[in-house]
Amino acid sequence: MKNNIAERRAGRSWTQADLAGALGVSRQTVISIEREKFDPSLPLAFLIARTFDCTIEEIFTAE
Amino acid sequence: MHHYVLAIILGAILTIAVSVLVGASNPDDFWLAAGIGALCAAYPALSLGARVFVSNNTVIRDAHGEQSVEVQWMRQAGAGAFLDVLVATIVVAVVLAIGRFQIEALPVLLGLVGLSALDAGLRYLAIRHRALK
Repeated sequence: MKNNIAERRAGRSWTQADLAGALGVSRQTVISIEREKFDPSLPLAFLIARTFDCTIEEIFTAE
Repeated sequence: MHHYVLAIILGAILTIAVSVLVGASNPDDFWLAAGIGALCAAYPALSLGARVFVSNNTVIRDAHGEQSVEVQWMRQAGAGAFLDVLVATIVVAVVLAIGRFQIEALPVLLGLVGLSALDAGLRYLAIRHRALK
């Protein structure tokens, strides 16, 4: 799954640790998702979308 | 720092209490029994001390830790280690059956436990290194 989390995070001037804290997951999880090496679970994807005030489809796209 | 001291003190008190009880139940070999009791009780007693005095002050649990990538890494490492242990067990069994060797079961079982733990740990580190590279 492709995603634009890094761009959205940078747009808010958040560090990976900030986003990890907001999501309640480890920083390694944010790193892995941004590098598209880890597809988050559906609950985590919803949480990410809610954190960025958008829909899942606006963040994640199928390759 | 004082959390660790308190944890060690609680662990030591519990360990001594258990070892004295075990020793008292075997008065003929008091010191041997007490020593074995202490060896058995030390780890869980120190763990309890750490849980009571250290964990609540030093470890911040992620609110959604179960969604973290580390869980996937652990599952992958565990699955790989399981297959490794299965293959190792089959190979050893075949070698023993063909060679008609007779060996003690306990060292083999302990070896399998050690192999599985070491294998899973090394696999986890390798998966983590590859993912964060």
